[in-house]
Amino acid sequence: MKGFSHFMSGVAVASFGPWAIDAALNGNPLFFVLGGACGILPDTLDFKFYRFFYNHDVYVEPDPKSPDPQYVADEVARAIALAVDEKRYVNLKLSSVRLGADFWQQYSVTFDNEKLEVAVKFGPVVNTGQVPVEGTANRYPTVARAKIKAKVIQTYDAALKVDIFDGPTVGLKPLENGDLDLEFLPWHREWSHSLTVGAMLGALVGAGVWLAAGWTPAWQSFVTIAACYGVHVVEDQLGHMGSNIFYPLTKLRTPGLHWMHSGDGLPNFLTVWISCLLIFWNLYRGQPAMTYHFGFVHLMMVGLVLPGLAFGALRWLLNRGAKVVVAKGDDADDEWNDSKAAG
Amino acid sequence: MSAFWIVLLSVTAGTVISSVLACLPGLHIYNVMGALVLGILALEGSVHAIPADVYLPAFTGMVVGWSMLNTIPAVLLGTPDESAMFTVLPGQKYLMAGRGFEGTMITAVGGLAGAFFLVCVMAPLAPRYLPVSQQVLKGHMHWVLWVIITFMLMSEWPKGGNRGKAGWAKFYDAWKTLLAGLATFILAGLLGFILLTRSPVNHEVAFQNIMPAFVGLFAIPWCLLNMISAANVPPQKTAKSLAINGDVILRSVWSGGLGGGIAAYFPVVTGGVGGMLAGHATAQRDERIFIMGQGVSKFIYYVGAFMLMFVPGLNLTRGGGAWMVKALYTPMGVADYYLVLGSIAIAAGLSYLMMEPLTKLTLKFIDRFNYRHVSTFALAIILVMVYAVTGWVGMFIATVATGIGLLPVLFGSRRLNCLGILLLPIACNMSGFGETITGWLGLT
Repeated sequence: MKGFSHFMSGVAVASFGPWAIDAALNGNPLFFVLGGACGILPDTLDFKFYRFFYNHDVYVEPDPKSPDPQYVADEVARAIALAVDEKRYVNLKLSSVRLGADFWQQYSVTFDNEKLEVAVKFGPVVNTGQVPVEGTANRYPTVARAKIKAKVIQTYDAALKVDIFDGPTVGLKPLENGDLDLEFLPWHREWSHSLTVGAMLGALVGAGVWLAAGWTPAWQSFVTIAACYGVHVVEDQLGHMGSNIFYPLTKLRTPGLHWMHSGDGLPNFLTVWISCLLIFWNLYRGQPAMTYHFGFVHLMMVGLVLPGLAFGALRWLLNRGAKVVVAKGDDADDEWNDSKAAG
Repeated sequence: MSAFWIVLLSVTAGTVISSVLACLPGLHIYNVMGALVLGILALEGSVHAIPADVYLPAFTGMVVGWSMLNTIPAVLLGTPDESAMFTVLPGQKYLMAGRGFEGTMITAVGGLAGAFFLVCVMAPLAPRYLPVSQQVLKGHMHWVLWVIITFMLMSEWPKGGNRGKAGWAKFYDAWKTLLAGLATFILAGLLGFILLTRSPVNHEVAFQNIMPAFVGLFAIPWCLLNMISAANVPPQKTAKSLAINGDVILRSVWSGGLGGGIAAYFPVVTGGVGGMLAGHATAQRDERIFIMGQGVSKFIYYVGAFMLMFVPGLNLTRGGGAWMVKALYTPMGVADYYLVLGSIAIAAGLSYLMMEPLTKLTLKFIDRFNYRHVSTFALAIILVMVYAVTGWVGMFIATVATGIGLLPVLFGSRRLNCLGILLLPIACNMSGFGETITGWLGLT
């Protein structure tokens, strides 16, 4: 899911703690801030910290002064040969090529499993908004090719386009039939997306709070952190990529339920909106001396069902007879692009 | 003259004036409204006193016209105010593709859709539901602000650390942008503490004390950047069709309405922040929806906030426009509400009609001159405006703010962090420790 959906889920989970609402009414925003921060924290750990310390076996770093597609093709082929010859997992880093303050050389890497080749094409220069600069599209018309030692099974179609900011990491995992499975962003959800890590973090902070302020705020902090961190892991499990749920007890990601892609608009919006309604309901319950009264079902009808039906009916009316195509993403690619587009 | 004609003429005058003024970079309509409020207050009790029937529709028209047409300087001249900030990059992309007219008009359609949503959907529901939400959220606004600040700072991702072996050097390279973002937020916050506690701007222009800072944080850095790096703008084409349909409009209203609604309802949350939150919440990938959604969001932020003051039974004042009008008038019941809603509808239609000729006029200007010269001219107008309204003190504040506003430009961090100028001091004040901090700073 997108960062904001996780964040709002965290705030919503925090609002279920009566202590959070009491503290807020007394001017202390800490539990809600903690909830939101822990909701987004697993991705923060991966994208802002861990990836910069993640070691790669092969670094592909084209020279900005004379970008050479053949160099990229040869290095990718070398990484594949390494994985095949040594029968081990190889991490390959495709670095971006920055040409100036706001300009980047775009390039793409594709695998041709029929011919057992990797093809590299340098595309246009793009600005940081990923907009091609006019007149640069055909500066490097050559498609560089290099022979590869095994087929590369690639599920993330758009993933190997490199342009702005950081380039992607791919993991090449040898399969039993001799092919290589291409894993996009192997450093993502490796250990950070784990319920046990959330609980450990909660215990660590709780211990500090216990020393500073006593038992009650300590267990309240523990519950808030563990639950809000955990809701991120649970939500990501609804997608495709899955998480390493009980790291360090488990070592591999458990595949997700495939109910959604992390970048899909509707599930993300529903998560945010339902979180807002749950927060509203919890605040209502915690608000003393209310003159207005309503029930949970009433709130959901007015806040979710009726507007949803009205929106759905309007969309149906407006799209009658038209073929609406919704682009499907994939979890890793969506989160990677999200991290680049967040600005 | 009957009340009907007075209202119609007033709203028309307000809309036309603000639509034209909106094309001037750097000038905020609140600057003009502030001066008018001071004038109206001065005339109060005299034979020339201006009645509410005249100034209420006129002010409504001004807010509507400006919220619709301030896209023109933002997109075509690259001088956005904070609420139009997100339209600049996609808007300039249209401009560089020779489709500046199209980009601007798509935002205008968004504004019109926002007006429809506000008057026909939100306005009938507001008197029934907003007082309830107000009672529930009472006492919770402060943490909402802190939560928004937390998300704003946590959701900025590193942009460096692209090359080299794993390790601390790479980490530091990546974190330079984030540290610059944090520094921008904190410095802007400190400037905000100073301006909100002990503004050096003359009390006679008290409505404008934050204006030079906003201009320095948002508009001047864009101008400077355009002057240094702008490529030549290609000849502009006038599109015959905007290639939008009902579905695009509906989805734009969905995302923009959410962002603008958040910004209008919660204190200090501005259109830029609302737009950012809505963009994250609705995860729209279509560029047209994004641009149109920003038009919706901007409209609902400015006009919706103004409208809230008139919602019967709500008693809520949000946004600079409403606060200024409140100095003149206290709304009384449904008659005022309908007056304002009618004025919004008329002004929205009128300002939409003005969008096309004014966009074409601005594009002619851009076509005729080098874009660097256009940016230099825009910067000159901005500086003249700041000087005319706030004098040398304002120029000094704008210079300091420009220094802070250039940090995101130089380091590639998020420009929204400049909003620390309002978010940080007001969140601290609302949580009850603002005075402690102003004490530490020696301001109180």
